[in-house]
Amino acid sequence: MKPERKRRLITVFLILISSAFGSFLIIKALDSNLDFFFTPSELYAQDIPDNKRIKVGGMVLEGSVKRDKTNIIFEITDYKNSITINFNGIVPDLFQEGSGVVVLGYLDKDIILAEEVLAKHDENYMPPNLEIEK
Amino acid sequence: MLIEVAHYLSILATGLFFLCFLFAFMLSTKDIFVANLVSRVYTHGFLFLLISFLIYIWLAVSDNFNVLYIAQHSNTNLPTFYKISSIWSAHEGSMYLWIVFLCLWGVIFNLFTKNTQDLKAKSIGVISFVAVGFLLFLLLTSNPFLTILPIAPENGADINPVLQDPALAIHPPILYLGYVGFVIAFAHAIAFLVKGDSSIKWESLVRTWSISSWSLLTVGIALGSWWAYYELGWGGYWFWDPVENVALMPWLAATAFVHSLSVSTKSSLLRIWTILLSIIVFSLSLFGAFIVRSGIIDSVHSFANDPERGLYLLGFTAILIIISTILFSFRLSILASEKKIFSFSKESFISINNIIFGTLIFSTMLGVLYPLIYEYLYDQKISVGAPFYNAIFIPLTLIAGIFLFFSIDSKWQRSIKITNILSPMSTSLLIAGSSLLLFNYFLAVNDYWILLSVFVGMLILVRYMFVIYDYLFRQKYSNLYSITAHLGLSILIISIALNSEFSSERALNIRMNESDAYGGYEIKFDDLRLEKSSNYDAVIASFVLNGPDGRNFILKPEKRKYFARGQITTETAIKISPLKDVYMTIGDQLDDGSWIVNIQLNYFVRWIWFSAIMMAFAGLMLAYSLVRGKR
Repeated sequence: MKPERKRRLITVFLILISSAFGSFLIIKALDSNLDFFFTPSELYAQDIPDNKRIKVGGMVLEGSVKRDKTNIIFEITDYKNSITINFNGIVPDLFQEGSGVVVLGYLDKDIILAEEVLAKHDENYMPPNLEIEK
Repeated sequence: MLIEVAHYLSILATGLFFLCFLFAFMLSTKDIFVANLVSRVYTHGFLFLLISFLIYIWLAVSDNFNVLYIAQHSNTNLPTFYKISSIWSAHEGSMYLWIVFLCLWGVIFNLFTKNTQDLKAKSIGVISFVAVGFLLFLLLTSNPFLTILPIAPENGADINPVLQDPALAIHPPILYLGYVGFVIAFAHAIAFLVKGDSSIKWESLVRTWSISSWSLLTVGIALGSWWAYYELGWGGYWFWDPVENVALMPWLAATAFVHSLSVSTKSSLLRIWTILLSIIVFSLSLFGAFIVRSGIIDSVHSFANDPERGLYLLGFTAILIIISTILFSFRLSILASEKKIFSFSKESFISINNIIFGTLIFSTMLGVLYPLIYEYLYDQKISVGAPFYNAIFIPLTLIAGIFLFFSIDSKWQRSIKITNILSPMSTSLLIAGSSLLLFNYFLAVNDYWILLSVFVGMLILVRYMFVIYDYLFRQKYSNLYSITAHLGLSILIISIALNSEFSSERALNIRMNESDAYGGYEIKFDDLRLEKSSNYDAVIASFVLNGPDGRNFILKPEKRKYFARGQITTETAIKISPLKDVYMTIGDQLDDGSWIVNIQLNYFVRWIWFSAIMMAFAGLMLAYSLVRGKR
């Protein structure tokens, strides 16, 4: 093989190896940082470790909102099952009983300790997965 | 009547742009008559489009609710300023503005460039083609001229209250100007590839345009971040929301592009990179439009969901990308350079920079699209949040920063001897290292990533101080634009690191006339009153804060209820200082009469936007100097 061609081959080989390695690292970072989305029913059907950050979406159950100082405790429902959420802080302006909400947090026994509560900035918003069922 | 005139003019403009495209690509543009023809037809097309848009602004200002879009997004009670900005508060109008800006860049280029310039006629042809594609999209799928006839509603539905804000009124126009400005570079790249004459220096023709677009894009993104910070009440400056990410990707690509451009302008090195990046920047801008306007991805920003629109945009973007890549691969042979890149030369560092930025763009793209792919494959909804982006961006930015540090004294097309610059480098290392100890020892910062970020930021900062010293007192030549922009980067890295280390927040439960304490501040709930405004009712709380330095100040967070839509919004109260912001929002009232309030201490957050302004300023000054240099 000509030395010029050999040099090129090595370069191409190195580029391939390094990009494969880079992609591997990126995908690995991606896989360990995914937030899975569940409805309350899906949550009961699966076994979720409590150190995994998850998203849960559904409707805020009517009459379930309780407040204790800066904590707010409420239930999210998909009209089949519901789960209790505990959140410390201010909930968004659009948060209200009977409307759609998504929380981000960790499972702790039977309740979710939420880090974030999101209410979509759209009055017609339905959390994903509920649109078909309802 | 006026509505029909505006509508008709925009159709006419579409026709003229299409003619322009045909002339540029069907006739021989070597003929000066053809070049003149293309130029004139384009200018007239733009004139029609501009008049159509001005009429549209007039329709909005004069509350013509016969126009469906204006009826849906404006209101007679709005100040004139917001009547105008309501045009770009939703899909149709903002698309319209986007197109007008696209053609505006084209017409400025057209008017300031001689018709004899080799690539001009073909470039105008490409710009016209893009304009036609988007005008057809506008007129066929999202027509802003649809009317309510015969009787118009009494009043409009009003603009979303969170959008009634000066920063948000100017954020989209500046962002769009930045996005679509890269059409000039894209058009030249395509024209260059079509011509296939490697002696034409297309890179130097587009430098000014690209750098000004980059600056505008920088300002646009920073404005959006600043708005989100004070308006949404979450107290963050970046949320890694998909729509933010699709604005970040063109910015990253554009940053790599303008760096690569400076190499290819000087010599013919990195031409492949430069041309590829010019295509990538513009494609990513279009991809952004697709993501935002198709509703394919869940985001707080996204416009209404419409698959037809998404399909059209995806199709058109795909056509442009496919044509570009085919052209590119056909002409690959003329792009290769005979010259070699020396190690430790400026070119070598910029190549590394290109690779790092490419990786960042790829990762961001993956983060945006992965939820779609995952749901398709596993039927499971997921989202990709800040932890992923942090895991990628922090290490890569720091690596890029270290390369930047080594590249500061590098020269064009030759290696540098490390020994020549050993003393400023080792001094910077020493100072940056000791600042680390300071942070670790006195401020108890223990997080490795924070310390490392501060270290890299300081390294660049101190190193540039030496460069500035040499410039001022030893009359050594320095590129002041590069210095300013990169100082901005170092400030950005340091302030983001310190912000995430020191910032904190807490929710308080507090009654009128009671006090609480947080972060060294004594907070007294002083007053609460109701106030009526022209288009909303407000609850305004008043807190007296007593700081650690003994000084008092008052913060008045608000909650508003807007009449037109019944929407409730939170207005934050912020005490700004160079070191930190004291940031308060008010939540709900509990049954026992007490209120929930949130207090945040946000450190160094102002410096984040300041650094963006530094970068944009450097870019604009460079563009200005290039324009002046040409005369």
